Order: sequence, then structure tokens, then C-alpha cells
Amino acid sequence: MNPMTDLGLRFVRRPGPGGRAANLAALGATAIVALLVTFLIAGSLGISHRSDRIGWRGADSADAATAIGALHTVDGKKVDGKPLLQVDLAILKPTNQPPPPGLDHLPKPGEVFVSPEVAKHWASLKGEFGLDKPTGVITDKGLSSPEELVLIHGVDKIDSKYPDYVASWQTTAMDGRLGGLLIAVAFGIILVLFPLLSLVGQAAGVAAKRREHRLAALRLAGSTRSQVLWLSAVEQAVLGLAGAVVGLVGYVVLTPLIAQIPLGGGRWFVSDIAPPWWAVLIVLTAVPVLSVLSALIGLGRVSITPLGVVRGQTRKSTTALRLLPLLVGPIALASLGMGAAIVPLLIAIGFAALAVRILGPFAVQIIGKMMANLANGPIALLAGRRLADDPKAAFRPVAALVLSGFVTGFISVFMPGGDDDPIWQDMRIGVALLMGLVFLTAAASTAAGAVGTALDQAGPAKALRRSGVPLSVIERSARLAALVPVVGVGLPVVGFGALCALALSGGQIATEGNSGILLLIGQVVVGLVLVAAAGMAGAPVLRKASAN
Amino acid sequence: MRRPVHGPTNRGLVRGKLVIMSFQSPQLAPQVVLSGHGLIKYYGDVVGLAGVDVGVRSGEALAVMGPSGNGKSTLLHVLAGILTPDQGEVWLGGERVDQLNDAARTVLRRRRLGFVFQDNQLLAELPADENVALPLMVDGLSRRDAIGRARNMLAQVGLANEAGRRPGELSGGQAQRVAIARALVGEPQVVFADEPTGALDATTGSQVIDLLIGAATHRGAAVVVVTHDNSVAARCHRIMTIVDGRVHENVGATR
Repeated sequence: MNPMTDLGLRFVRRPGPGGRAANLAALGATAIVALLVTFLIAGSLGISHRSDRIGWRGADSADAATAIGALHTVDGKKVDGKPLLQVDLAILKPTNQPPPPGLDHLPKPGEVFVSPEVAKHWASLKGEFGLDKPTGVITDKGLSSPEELVLIHGVDKIDSKYPDYVASWQTTAMDGRLGGLLIAVAFGIILVLFPLLSLVGQAAGVAAKRREHRLAALRLAGSTRSQVLWLSAVEQAVLGLAGAVVGLVGYVVLTPLIAQIPLGGGRWFVSDIAPPWWAVLIVLTAVPVLSVLSALIGLGRVSITPLGVVRGQTRKSTTALRLLPLLVGPIALASLGMGAAIVPLLIAIGFAALAVRILGPFAVQIIGKMMANLANGPIALLAGRRLADDPKAAFRPVAALVLSGFVTGFISVFMPGGDDDPIWQDMRIGVALLMGLVFLTAAASTAAGAVGTALDQAGPAKALRRSGVPLSVIERSARLAALVPVVGVGLPVVGFGALCALALSGGQIATEGNSGILLLIGQVVVGLVLVAAAGMAGAPVLRKASAN
Repeated sequence: MRRPVHGPTNRGLVRGKLVIMSFQSPQLAPQVVLSGHGLIKYYGDVVGLAGVDVGVRSGEALAVMGPSGNGKSTLLHVLAGILTPDQGEVWLGGERVDQLNDAARTVLRRRRLGFVFQDNQLLAELPADENVALPLMVDGLSRRDAIGRARNMLAQVGLANEAGRRPGELSGGQAQRVAIARALVGEPQVVFADEPTGALDATTGSQVIDLLIGAATHRGAAVVVVTHDNSVAARCHRIMTIVDGRVHENVGATR
């Protein structure tokens, strides 16, 4: 075996002091990345699967001359107090095609097929249709969700001026509601993308300083640049792969719970959101590869100037040039407007989120310098200098949380009111889900960052404790250093997110009631709770690593 | 050395021996600022200290030497209140240290002791003056006063022009002088130095140890230096050699 491969594997097996906590934090963060990526892929596929089964019901895919059937949705019906979807179906010409999904034959006039949930309440419907029991029960293959209330009624002809004409019972045309949901998912993926990438970077960068020193020592001992990079790649690939496996297993375990989310017309069949083999393969490949790339990018400095790293050379400052990307997103969104095509909109929103990621370290540096210069006590001084000295490292753990502020600000302008429109219901659930994903990402990232920071600070913290500096001073400065970027950068970023949304909407606020305000307050509360929780994750590590 | 697998009776015998070895009461030796009596420390089954008596006078520099892993650093940590002994007593200027709780020992270390470590252990983020001022600020001094005293101390160790530079921008010798300034700025009664020249070349190491001992003893502070370096030990007033956790030799140096 290549000696560097062997050494890399040995570092994973026996990571040394503090290494186990670092590896566990990296593995946990990577697992959450894998879980979320699997969720996004499998969730998107689930929407497609659902649409494939019910697409024929809403398809207007033919004209009257060529259609094999005609449909009409009867509005306003209810069963057991809940909305019932009744589809009247008239066969226009015989075909050799199999019947619509979930039905064992094409319904003849007067025949009624119902979903299992409707069958349970047939007593309230049998009078209307003149049948003691329904002709058949629609199987899972023809339902959008296990609890769907749907009734397919065979008729002679459609009693409507504008029936939907069907060319095929097996059409894969996208259901309108689910098509909208897929677009919303695309927006959601863009908004969660940067927090997710931050988490990947955080997972790879946990205990970065510890690794930098170790690898710089290898460079000083004569290892080549490529050998050092290879060793890091091996180590990170093993951790990334292990994290991906844990994340996939976690997703499978959580699938029954995820299936309970009532999005896009009800709860989900577990089989709909089970990841296919190729999605598993993508996760098992992409997550370790991204982890390795993140680690290698982070170690670039070590490979080039090992002496500098060993001696703790001062890092380059960030510059005000980082402010420029802030302008791109709002200007692009304002010029595109609400009527623009989806892809340019997604790109513009992506740019705005990227600007936040780029600007963050600069803002942290400014705040850190101000704190340190104004500090009259050791806690603010330590925290401020730490932020100003390495703002990128200080921002990395909270990047996901700060980006969640952008997401919140953006969404808060478009929060729907409390009516019963299913589209709005989907949107409310979707926003809650998106915020859940972003906060989960942020929590993992912040906690992993806290562990990494605690390990990085272990040496000086140990010396301080020996010299009579109370642990509480060290812990409080660490907490402050984590809190300041969240509050100092996160809150303005909420405003920037709202500004981008207003630029897109032309100044119109679509939010009804106080749901937008509640969302913003919720963001602040969750952000602060996450920082506190992250502090709890880092505190025991710091306490142990700096103990005598 | 492994901890003997004896029961409490044999440990009692050891303690009995140590009681016999204990030669004076700390209260009767006012010139001794720091003393340890019958110090025993175990790490699991491994004996760190097997019964050590030691005393250091104000203005005296004591070198602690001996093979690696034989108890030198353990002795330093026990005397400094970083570790508590399993048996024995540590006295600092009439106050028994080993019976203080962790918080009180922390305050004592901050106010009455100074530390210099092998790799300086300065905070990389802080410039030299803030590194030196930090213990004073932790103790409640205002930033302005703490920085003022820190700069004054840096000037005394020859670093008046380096006050605004960070540890990464200083040479090894300069960084160690900052560490000495940090150790002395609180006007401690005792300065502990653990291999203070271990990471320096011979010439710089000599300058640093001369500065440390000179500056500390000039103020009346005692210095306890753990070292492998004979030239460092030769600059101290007294040399104590620890072997297998016991005092092997305790002699005046040739300075």
C-alpha cells in the first residue's frame, strides 16, 4: 500500500489527542449532508412518482377528435367533512391501452371507483350514486397519497363545456399542483445549497488547525506537496464515505417519519420517497468527493507554505472588494421581476446567497476589530481578536446559520395568509420544511464548528488555565466569538434577504397577516438557541482538551 | 516507574517514611516562599512523585533536572497548584495550596504565580502587549492600565518596539521574552518555567534564561525551572535532580 494511504488510514483509526472528537464531529456533519442530499433527491423523485400516478386526471393532452376519454373535476364535494376529489370520466373510444393507474378496468357509465379512505365512508355516498358498494377500490398505484379522498365516476358524457381530453391513461404529464411544488423545491434547493456547502466545508474543516500542523510537520519532514494532499484526501474520503453511509442509513430509518409530511396533497407512500440505487450511488460518491475537495482547498495554504503555518503566520486580511457581489443579486432580481423564467431567477437568487457567503468574513473582521479595540475586559478582547485574526474560520461555523437569515428574509416577503387554498397550504408546509432543513444544516454546521474551534484553541486554552485564567473566561469568549457573527452579520442578512425579495417583487409584499413577522422572530430565536446549543457542544470538548 | 501493587498498609509505610523525611515545618521557615512536603502523586498505577520535599526561597532560582518521565513536570505542576498531590502538602507564603479548591487555586496562580512554557503558548490572535496584559485584565484591571503595565514590562525585557506585533511575527527568542513579561507582569512570588529554552538555540536560550532569572529574582520572586539543559541549570542557585519520582540530589549550583 502507498505509505501515505497507509498513514491516512492510520490517522482515521488512531486520530490522536482530540482527534476522535474531531472525526466524530466531521462524520456527524457529513452524515447530515448525506441525509439532506438524499432527502432532496428522493423528495423530488417522490413528487414525480406521485405525479406519474395521477397525471392522467388533470391532463388536457388531446383534442376532442383524437381523445380516448374526457374528464371533468366536480368541485365542492366533501366526505367526512373533508374535500373530496370527484373525477367524472367518459370513455370516448375503445383502445387497447391498460386502464388508468390503480383501476382494474375502465369505468363504465355508472361505475364508481374510490380510494380506500372514501370506501370507509361509502355509506354517506351510496345514495348519491345508487350503489350499495363501490365498483372497485383504487389501489396505491392510482393514488397521490395513502389518505387521498378521490372518486372516479364513469359517465356517458361529460356535463361541462370545457372537459379535459385525454390521449393516454398512462400519461406522465406533470400534475399542476405537483409541478408548482417541483419549482418550489428547485427554489428551496438553491436556498439550501449554500448552507449545505458550508456544512460540507465545516465537516472537512473541523479541527483544521490540528490537521494543518500535522501536515505541515510532514512537509517539514520531507513529504512532497502531493503526498501531503493525498494523505488528507484519503483521511477525508474515509470520513466522508462513513458519513455518507450513516446519512443514508439515517434517511432510510427516518423515511416513515418523512412520509408523514402532508405536502402536495397528503402524506406520502414510503416507496415514493425511497431513494433509488442510482441516488444512493450519487450520495456515496458526491459526499466524499465534496468532503475531499473542501479539505484540500482548506489545506492549500499548508501545502504551499508549511513553515508559515507551523509558526502561526498572520493571515491575509479580507478586503472591501467583498462588498461588490452584494449588488449583483438585488440588481439582477429587480431587472428580472416576477414574470421572469425560472432558471434566471434561480441563478440570481443563488448569486445573492453567494454574496452573503463571500461578504460574511469581511463583516466578521470589521466587527472583530471594533470589538477588540473597544474591549475593556478579557472576554470581549479575546473574542474580538479571534474574529479579526481569522474571520474566515470564525464565519465558517455560522455561515449556514447566517445564510438561513437570508432565506428567512427572502421568504418573509412571500408568506401566504391563512386560507384553505391547497397551493398556499403547500407553500406554508414547504416554507416550514425548508426552514427546518436550513436550521438542521445550520445546527450541524455550528456544532461541528464549535467542536473544531474548541480543539483548535486547546493548546492556548490549556496554557491560560494553567496561568490562572478561569475556564469560564475562555468559554465565554468562545461563546461570544460564535454569537457575534450570528447577530452582527445574521441580522443584517435577514434584511438583505428581504431586500432581494422586494427587488424581485417590485416592492410588493405578498405576505398576509403577521406570518412574515413571526417567521423573522422565529429565525432570531432559533439562531440564538442554535448558538447556545453549539456552545454546549464545544464546551465539554474545550474543557477536556484544555484540562491539565 | 510503576505504582507498587501494595495495599494501604504499605502505602502507609511509605507515608511513614516520608513523615520521617519531613525536616521542617513551613511556618518555621519564613524565608522559604514555596515548599512541598512529602509529595506523592500517582497517575493510575504509575508513580509520578514518590515522596518529595522541596523548598524555594524568595529571590532564589531552583533548577529541577532528571531523566524524562521521572517526575520533574509533575513536581512543577503540583507545586504550582495545577495538580493536587495524593499525599503531602504544598505551602505558598504561609498558605496551604493543596487544600484549596480549584477556583481558589486558579486565583492563586493568576495573582501570585507566573508561568513560562517551552513553546511560549502565547495567544496567536493577540499582539504582544495584549498577551502580557491579559492576566491583569482577567484580574479586573482596566484595559488602559493593563496595557500600560504590559508595555512597561515589555520594555524591561527589551521589546518596547515589538508591543504591537503578534507572536507569529516575532522570533522564537522574542516570543519567549513576551512570555517572560507575561509571567512577571503580575509581580508573582514564584515563576515556574517548564523547559523555557527547549525550543531555542543555545545563544538565544542563554539570553532568555538570564533574562528570566535576572528579572524575576531582582523583584524578589523565586524561580523554579524544569530543564534538561545543564547550561540552564548552571545559571540557577540550586539544582535538584529527580529520579523515579524522588529527590536524587539537591545541591548548590556553581554560579
